[in-house]
Amino acid sequence: MFRVIGQRVAAFLPTLLATSFAIFIVVNVVPGSAARAALGITATPQAIARFENELGLDRPIFVQYLDWLSRVVTGDFGTSFQGRVPVGPDIARRLPVTLELAVLAFVIANLIAVPLGALAAFHHKRKIDTVITLLATLLGAVPNFWLSTLLILVFSLILRILPAGGFVSIATDPVRNLKLMIMPSLSLGIVSSALLLRIMRASMIEVLSTDYIRTALAKGATDSVVVWRHSIRNGLIPFLTVGAVEFGWLFGGVVIIEDIFLLPGIGSMVLVGIVNRDYPVLMASVLVITTVVLIANMLADIVATLLDPRQISIR
Amino acid sequence: MRQIAKSRKEPLFFRHERERYRLIVVGSLLVGLILAASIFAGTSTGYSPYEMNINEKLKAPSIDHLLGTDEIGRDVLTRAMYAARMSVQVAAIAVSIGLFGGGVIGILAAYHGGLVDLVLMRFMELLFSFPAILLAVVLMASLGTTLINAMAAIGIIFIPGFSRLARATTQGVLRQPYIEAARTIGMSDARLILREVLPNVVTPLVVEAMAAFGYAVLLESSLSFLGLGAQPPEPSWGNMLNTGRGFMVVAPWMSIVPGVAMFVGVLGFNLLGDGFRDFLDPKLY
Repeated sequence: MFRVIGQRVAAFLPTLLATSFAIFIVVNVVPGSAARAALGITATPQAIARFENELGLDRPIFVQYLDWLSRVVTGDFGTSFQGRVPVGPDIARRLPVTLELAVLAFVIANLIAVPLGALAAFHHKRKIDTVITLLATLLGAVPNFWLSTLLILVFSLILRILPAGGFVSIATDPVRNLKLMIMPSLSLGIVSSALLLRIMRASMIEVLSTDYIRTALAKGATDSVVVWRHSIRNGLIPFLTVGAVEFGWLFGGVVIIEDIFLLPGIGSMVLVGIVNRDYPVLMASVLVITTVVLIANMLADIVATLLDPRQISIR
Repeated sequence: MRQIAKSRKEPLFFRHERERYRLIVVGSLLVGLILAASIFAGTSTGYSPYEMNINEKLKAPSIDHLLGTDEIGRDVLTRAMYAARMSVQVAAIAVSIGLFGGGVIGILAAYHGGLVDLVLMRFMELLFSFPAILLAVVLMASLGTTLINAMAAIGIIFIPGFSRLARATTQGVLRQPYIEAARTIGMSDARLILREVLPNVVTPLVVEAMAAFGYAVLLESSLSFLGLGAQPPEPSWGNMLNTGRGFMVVAPWMSIVPGVAMFVGVLGFNLLGDGFRDFLDPKLY
């Protein structure tokens, strides 16, 4: 088992390395010079050359990458072109905001998906299944930024019970923090629950139709024993894998949601980086998001192995 | 008893068949609505999607303007219909890029195997490790915010998914006896791929393309919402919704109309995709 976990962790590093290289290449072909964006359109060619020379932007791209990478592994994400401030502390300030948002949204998505998916599977091909499946289909077609807009319209502008945007840290004021986070996490979570619900339902249907469940029922096991003791564990395996991918999707979705609700997280940092052509900011924020996604995928792989020891002998 | 009587009238087999078609029928109706809107965008309302009319600004839905007007007096229905046309075009081209690119990569990887397979699929995995919307946003920033680039960026996002499907299906096809037979009679690689492999791989890919269509519409709207897709005054559901947010209290129709249009479009394409998928793989239903 530890060997399997070791293998997963070992496979993670090369992937992360390749991803960092891809990010560096994509970001550094951004058209429109960073120097122009930082110095303004009136900058002289000499000033631009000096700026690029100071920041090492005139060196070959591979040299720039290695230089960047060697600093990133020590936690130094460079200095932003715009404010000339270090990017690292900014990341450290913003990451908890995004993590809180993504975790809350993920919890909401699961609270909707797991019970409803299991319920639908248990009542497969009956009315309750149809209603839940229909609900999942409808939810899956709602763009999360539209849902955000509707939530703001109803809860902030009409009912006036929730603030429309902004952020207060959970340490400063937990109640206010929750009030500010509830709409963003609902927008992300409700939409994400659609796919999770379908996967949960499908995987539970498959488990509930296996022979060992029929045997358990024949032996007189009650419905709750069959569901909780025998089915959920096996039903959760495919669900976990998709869940991790969905967490990644959620983490990507924060770009839009943070923009709408004015949350100072990593997602809004990506947009700041793009608008200002601020390469260090853009690369750092994209790298952090992708790393979190890769870690989530790796953890899901490991947990799936722990839940289903059969996978160890297969691989 | 009543149920038994009913099922006697309609054998169970037909009832299942009818249920299998239901998704396709509802999906086709919704997609038909969006397609009709995009086809008749120029002729049906009598308004231009660009022309401003300050005297008519922020007018609520009425006989003159069925879905109201926006902040500079443009007809919201007309703009939503033009946006439908744009969305369908972007989605069609983006999905085609994904389908073609992913199809070629997947088939080649499966056919050649070995190092080609390893390199191509590792690269696909790399693309897959980025969250879709993040990849789209970064690609748009990198390529420049034009509509053509939006199509390309969304298309690139679809390539890994299609390539995996194409590779898996091709691997299955290559094990069939008729491939061995074709090799035995001395068919060239190109001819074998085009004549024997492709026709047997294309169906699942097309079904997947249907399902991807809804997602492409969603991605395009997201990019436009962030200001990275269609640029104003070009109407897009995403940028209409973004503008509408600023007028939510005085003109809620400005954000409700594009949202409903997006919802109908995405739902329609998703249902159609699901319907066709069930039709091919009825295991779960």
